[in-house]
Amino acid sequence: MAEPRTTASLTPALEARDVRVEIGDKTILHTADLTLEAGKLVAVVGPNGAGKSTLARAVAGMQKTAAGAVHWMGDDLAKLRGRKLALRRAFVPQRARVPDGVTVTEAVRIGRSPHLKPLQRATRRDNAAIERAMERTGVTKFADRKLTTLSGGELQRVQIAVALVQEAPVLMADEPTSHLDLGATVAVAKLLRSLADEGLAVLLVAHDLSLAAAVADTVVVMSQGRTVAAGPPLETLSHERLDEVWGVDASVQASGHHTALHVAWLGRAGDHDNAS
Amino acid sequence: MIVRRTAVVVVVVIAVVAGIVASLALGAVDIPLSTVIDALTGKADPGPLRQIVLDLRLPRTVEAIAVGAALGVAGALLQGALGNPLASPDVIGVTGGAGFGAVLILIVFPGSVALLPVGALFFGLLAAGLVFAIAWAGPNPGGTGRLILAGIAIAALFGAGMTSIMVAYPDRVQSALFFIAGGLTSDGWSDLKVVWPYFAVGFVLAIGLTRPLDRLALGDDVAESLGARPRAIRLIAGVGAALLAAAAASLAGLLGFLGLVVPHAVRLASGTSSHTYVLPVSALGGSALLLAGDTLARTVRAPIELPVGPFMVVIGVPLFLFLLRRAV
Repeated sequence: MAEPRTTASLTPALEARDVRVEIGDKTILHTADLTLEAGKLVAVVGPNGAGKSTLARAVAGMQKTAAGAVHWMGDDLAKLRGRKLALRRAFVPQRARVPDGVTVTEAVRIGRSPHLKPLQRATRRDNAAIERAMERTGVTKFADRKLTTLSGGELQRVQIAVALVQEAPVLMADEPTSHLDLGATVAVAKLLRSLADEGLAVLLVAHDLSLAAAVADTVVVMSQGRTVAAGPPLETLSHERLDEVWGVDASVQASGHHTALHVAWLGRAGDHDNAS
Repeated sequence: MIVRRTAVVVVVVIAVVAGIVASLALGAVDIPLSTVIDALTGKADPGPLRQIVLDLRLPRTVEAIAVGAALGVAGALLQGALGNPLASPDVIGVTGGAGFGAVLILIVFPGSVALLPVGALFFGLLAAGLVFAIAWAGPNPGGTGRLILAGIAIAALFGAGMTSIMVAYPDRVQSALFFIAGGLTSDGWSDLKVVWPYFAVGFVLAIGLTRPLDRLALGDDVAESLGARPRAIRLIAGVGAALLAAAAASLAGLLGFLGLVVPHAVRLASGTSSHTYVLPVSALGGSALLLAGDTLARTVRAPIELPVGPFMVVIGVPLFLFLLRRAV
């Protein structure tokens, strides 16, 4: 893994403590902690329904919290609204809407809007930023195509470009690879890792443990609405923890740039009848 | 691409200008263009022709421009805000409410026919208000699905009210048909004087919504990532569209088709969905279509005036189908 560039900032980009989310009278998130720092990639992993997306959306200010403290660059989330918040974090949703009749360039241009006052036109600086974000994500070669004509992988890179052009110091992506084939997944993984190496704080909500182990500096494990562990990927995703949280007999292994998830798909010998 | 967009604007502007000229010059009496210009610039001698231009045709032309623009913009606002191509003023209950209000005045209180625009406006806005109140109550307030379903329910309710009135007073139905079919009247400036503030507020809201609606195009999550508030945008767009559509209905009856089709035609013809483009060009396109439809309705069987609604459909549908076929 590349050595991340360190920055002088002492305050973490994001610090969230004891975040709690209730929807109606149901508690979706009991208590969760999350810290993001410049130059680091944090992966949030956990079983379906563990609250990964809810945590990401809650700290991003997109889901009301019932309790807890969330600070962006030291400022309380509750006091950050609209463009102020948009200049601190960009969020790539799991499945963004793909509107008719919108080209790649137009979509990325929309992503620049937090930098513009109402009815203000884009300046040369904004146009340069739009070009940069498109270059960086490799979408320039289909800049004039309509979003509706793109493949899943191309579309996801456009979504990342829309977030990147916000030029926020934190980039959050909610399962950006869950609908992608292997090649497109690798492209997105490499992109996110290199963005972290260039100094962004990156949060990746991920399903794929071997992917998380390969790209993340820190893995945060969630289970039943709580963050239950956080640390370096290989130690944190131990055999015991996979058993405890996912209820499977599996292990994450790494050699060089390769990572693999070894799974006893049918359970331990003689054990596949009582698998629940 | 820029060439195509500019070409569409040029065509629409020419259509509006031609529509204004035709609307002022043609009718039961054809008036020479020079006389029309003299009347407008105050140079014409006092006489019947001057009076026809200034007191009958000019207000009607202005009404056609305002109503056409309002319906085009209302449709574009709703389609953008709800992310749904089927959205039109019908969807938020305005058309149903305005129809009920107008039929109530025309059939039950025919003595107070002067209150027609006020009744249509009031019930149109009331229906939209009910739709928003239902859509913004309970969990997930302001969701698109909730809003559309609430709109369908409320529109059905007012539609049933309208039909009931017509069934209860079968001998008076005739007087309401013109309104239901949709059409402008030559009543001078009095109606416009009542409803212009509603148009004004609606258009101002639409100008402020152009960029927020673009953000909404990529979905609520992206809009929120960009610091926008999707539900607030949707509410403001709904209020703007309700004001425009209710004011339009109070002047010209039920012409919901225009609000549905014009923004689509603009998007298909220009190849862009950017609201900075679609909103103003839909305003021009709506005006052009209504000016053309109204002039035809007045001249085809002159001096009998036909309702404009069917004419607009006759002009609009082939144009729309042509664009749709090309778009694939």
